[in-house]
Amino acid sequence: MSSHSPARGPEGAPGFSPRKAISSFDLGKIASRYGILFAIIGLGAFLTFADKYFLTVRNLTNLLVQISPNGLLATGMTFVIIAGGIDLAVGSLLALAGMVFANYALIDSGVPVWVAAIVGVLVGAGLNAVSGVLVASFRVPAFVATLAMMSMARGFLKLYSRGGSIPGPSNSFADAVDVLSFGRIFGLPIPAALFLGSLALAWFVLTFTRFGRYVYAVGGNEKGARVSGVPVKWVTFWAFVVCGAYAGLSGVVVTALNSSAQVITGVGYELDAIAAVVIGGTSLSGGRGNMMGTLFGVILIGLISNGINLLNHLDVMKALGDTSATQDVIKGMVIVFAVLLDIVSRGRKA
Amino acid sequence: MATSLLQAISIRKSFNGVPALSDGSLNLRPGTVHALCGGNGAGKSTFLNVIMGLIASDGGELLIDGKPHEFMGPAEAINAGISMITQELSLINDLSVAENIFLGRQPVRFGLVDHATMRLRASELLQQLEFDVPAEALVGDLSVARKQLVEIARAISTKSRILIMDEPTSALSERETLVLFNAMRSLKAHNVGIIYVTHRLRELFGIADDYTVFRDGRFVESGVIADLDHDRLVHLIVGAPLHNHQVANRGRRGDRRLAVTRLSRAGEFTDVSLTAEGGEVLGIYGLVGSGRSEFLNCLFGLTRAHSGEVAIDGERLAIRSPRDAMKKGFSLVSEDRKESGLVGCLNVRENMALSSLRRLGSLVWVRRRAERSETARMKERLDVRTASLELAVENLSGGNQQKVVFARCLLTKPKVLLCDEPTRGVDAGAKQQIFGIVESFVAEGGAAVVVSSELEEILQVSDRIIVFRAGRITGELSRADASQEALMRLAA
Amino acid sequence: MNTKLLTCVSAAALVGTIVCGLTSAGAEEKKWQVGAAIYGLQNEYAQRWAADIKEQPAVKSGEINLTIFDGKYDHLTQRSQFDTMVTQKFDAAIYIPIDSKACDAVVKKAAEDGLPTVGSNGPCDTQAMLSYIGSDDVQAGRDVATAVISRIKDGGGVVELQGPVGQLGAIQRGQGIKEVLDKHPEIKLLENKTANWSRQEAFKIMQDWLVAHPGEIKGVLAQNDEMALGAIRALKAAGVDPKTVPVAGVDGVTDAIKAVAAGEMVLSVAQDAHAQAQGAVDIALRKLVGPSYKPQADIWEQYKDKMPWGDGTAKLYNVPWTYVTVENAEKILKK
Repeated sequence: MSSHSPARGPEGAPGFSPRKAISSFDLGKIASRYGILFAIIGLGAFLTFADKYFLTVRNLTNLLVQISPNGLLATGMTFVIIAGGIDLAVGSLLALAGMVFANYALIDSGVPVWVAAIVGVLVGAGLNAVSGVLVASFRVPAFVATLAMMSMARGFLKLYSRGGSIPGPSNSFADAVDVLSFGRIFGLPIPAALFLGSLALAWFVLTFTRFGRYVYAVGGNEKGARVSGVPVKWVTFWAFVVCGAYAGLSGVVVTALNSSAQVITGVGYELDAIAAVVIGGTSLSGGRGNMMGTLFGVILIGLISNGINLLNHLDVMKALGDTSATQDVIKGMVIVFAVLLDIVSRGRKA
Repeated sequence: MATSLLQAISIRKSFNGVPALSDGSLNLRPGTVHALCGGNGAGKSTFLNVIMGLIASDGGELLIDGKPHEFMGPAEAINAGISMITQELSLINDLSVAENIFLGRQPVRFGLVDHATMRLRASELLQQLEFDVPAEALVGDLSVARKQLVEIARAISTKSRILIMDEPTSALSERETLVLFNAMRSLKAHNVGIIYVTHRLRELFGIADDYTVFRDGRFVESGVIADLDHDRLVHLIVGAPLHNHQVANRGRRGDRRLAVTRLSRAGEFTDVSLTAEGGEVLGIYGLVGSGRSEFLNCLFGLTRAHSGEVAIDGERLAIRSPRDAMKKGFSLVSEDRKESGLVGCLNVRENMALSSLRRLGSLVWVRRRAERSETARMKERLDVRTASLELAVENLSGGNQQKVVFARCLLTKPKVLLCDEPTRGVDAGAKQQIFGIVESFVAEGGAAVVVSSELEEILQVSDRIIVFRAGRITGELSRADASQEALMRLAA
Repeated sequence: MNTKLLTCVSAAALVGTIVCGLTSAGAEEKKWQVGAAIYGLQNEYAQRWAADIKEQPAVKSGEINLTIFDGKYDHLTQRSQFDTMVTQKFDAAIYIPIDSKACDAVVKKAAEDGLPTVGSNGPCDTQAMLSYIGSDDVQAGRDVATAVISRIKDGGGVVELQGPVGQLGAIQRGQGIKEVLDKHPEIKLLENKTANWSRQEAFKIMQDWLVAHPGEIKGVLAQNDEMALGAIRALKAAGVDPKTVPVAGVDGVTDAIKAVAAGEMVLSVAQDAHAQAQGAVDIALRKLVGPSYKPQADIWEQYKDKMPWGDGTAKLYNVPWTYVTVENAEKILKK
């Protein structure tokens, strides 16, 4: 078994250290390690020349905000996938957490919005704790357990909301929700700041903590990890809880951005989250990957959607017929192309 | 009859320039059971693979019924009448006995499978062979012994006259073994020739007619079983004992580091009691299936004992998991490093540190500096050959990988080091180094328990040797009294 | 490594320029950039709406460059699409929202950024929209109830199949139905439940109701055609001839019109997608061009009594429903 690629452990590559990277930011070197960066730069170049509005502050800011919900989901998902599992329920969790948050974020709920947000996060974490127990202690395959949770959470959502959306016809959100949605911090829109901050936190945990190291071990070789004394069940459980918490936070952000929580929110979001993680270089079989890659994956997917929107008005798009379906095809093609580019440029194992 | 069913003359085979078989010879008479004996690495498997057509030989002759054959593939061997019954049965549980026997060769009528004829022919065959197996029974419902009979019947139905049986009794009880032997006698009556391979020497004297012994890839001796006894057979297999690399007598501290009392786990091992002292290496010898690995896994908390006690330094322990075991002072170098010793995608440093992160760091953080310095020190001490600690461990050679496993175990500062086949898949040089690692560990006061199925190895490294057979301890020998023959005698 | 990067970037830039060039031809004449953001394109009505808007004379003549944005039933997606329209300095937006409450924030922000929005087909609870052209759902509810109740002699029980809980359209149709029911004390509402606009859900619910109320259900009030069709299937499955139980729905989808022609449905209150779509374009253009603008869709002539153009600045344009009954069903089908 030959291996061209260097280790893709917690630090990303041999000799990679955060101090070194920041001090000698060599785009070429990073690009060679993350082929996906090629795709991002290439796509960015294409869009810059194809549409004069792409490289504007306004559009780029919009882009940052647009990638935040998926970005939060993907960040949490990265933990679970590196640990060797998968979580199909994040879309439903996002919706349920968002709805609970919305309920407590109403103007007369008696609870400050930031507390409501924490409640939302806890909803996501709590539900995924159930999935975590199923997978860790009862050895239910993650795919099955989270598929079930996906359905159950959506069901809870329908029950909790009685089919309606919040806010209803006769109430509205507290003002703080608008701040969450439109406010800025250090010039960054708050949703984007939340995303980037949470990503940094996740990166930190994966790279520097014992828990992070254990996540890689469990995903890389569960039996080996157990024999080495790693508390496999505990690690698996917490990976799911973390993922659920991120999904909850994403739900809060989506509710704020939408100024509403609906029963159909979040349907299908898990696919984009998983795609972002996988495109970023994390292996579905576990043990490999890192947050930087996830960030790139999230950016690429966001770029594709943004690009499709920007180019939607072109005659050439309309000439292609049913533009919506065409766009789906284009999205798939760009993703495949980006992954191929990554594989070819690094000779990496899939 | 004087004619020979199968005659192999000086079959040779090398792999990558390394000779695995240099003189494989055997003469199988029709209607006999011919025992093929030899230790690990004697060349039996290679020999059989050539006869089965699975690999091509580099030289030598193979005569069947006096006619020379050279098989290009297993299909040709089957056509020539050779079949093999292995330990992994290749039957389909959801089909009936008759369907399995005629798998791929079902009788057909008007394009459809003729079940009636199939069942009839199967019944006739089974009756002929005097096998007590109903043709309509579902194979999945049969016991292992009966399943083997179905396999044999299938082989016979393809007109095989030469049957190779590889460790057929390893999964059978005593009673079932008798059933198998009766079946074999019936086959003999039909002039089928059987080449029978087993490590359980005592069995052979009940069923075999002839014998051939291989050692180090070459033919040693053959003859009639009646002319042989157990001790002589063992001596032939083992050969002249190699000189052991004697190490200076170690200072045994006399303190009971490990005390095991009547430990049992149903189906794996029973009533195992032993002690290991500081400064001592306790060897455990036994053949595959004797329960030694299961015993170590139980000590380490991978499985739970059903009765008995384990104590370290006098303190009785209740161990529920490897984590528990490590906390109490055990460390295990497991049998299969790829499966359970290492995490392949992590690098050398991470693997070494994996069991000691709590000690090297704090509740939450990994203390990079401590990790780096301790793992670097281990790398030096154990002479792990790698360009950098940051390389993925899967890129290292087998010997170096095993050293990484040792490093991980030693970094936990254990009191008792358990090793299961520590030099499996390791080159000669690294092997000796590993012995050295074990020795220096005990020199500092710990106790080591080394399990091995290689006679030379166990004799070289142990102060005392305990022999396992069929889940029980059959004997204990001090280094002075131990010899390869003595061990084999107790183990087989 | 850096040369590879450079080649990749330049290649992409080249392609991008070509794409841009392809489109700039034709950007000479002053074209209005209008975006139509539809909540989704999976159902027949939405598809019809989208097809009809492309046929608007202003679109076909090239006066407007119309871009359709598929919201994929996700409000966040629609929100992003509005962001894009603002970024690309579109001139006007036409909006069928998926979320009748959340659309308020979107429309408000768009208006602040200089993008006027015209609502169509699906109402939005907002003050910031330029105008809304749609049909009166309360009236539709009334018409459904009246059509069914008038065919029930001597009173009896009816059942109501509702749209998604909380959706404005469903609320309004329900309101209309209730108004009529209240006026008819001899009619008893046995059951009402949401079937979420779905044929399949309505089928299951109706089946259960037929078992729970054997022989008692004299009429079915469905808030949309899909659910009505589901109820009809349930009747057939239970061995009841749908011609004996009056069923009415809303929308005018093809299968419903066929059912009306066959006598299985008594009424389908059809929405005029053509009018809602093309009318919206005229309203938007009126805002952009000014008082001199003359509307181009044929609907203003068609509905000149019930929905006059006026000066094109009304806040609400109420497109009359088309009543599909057994008399005109065949004719409408052929259209």
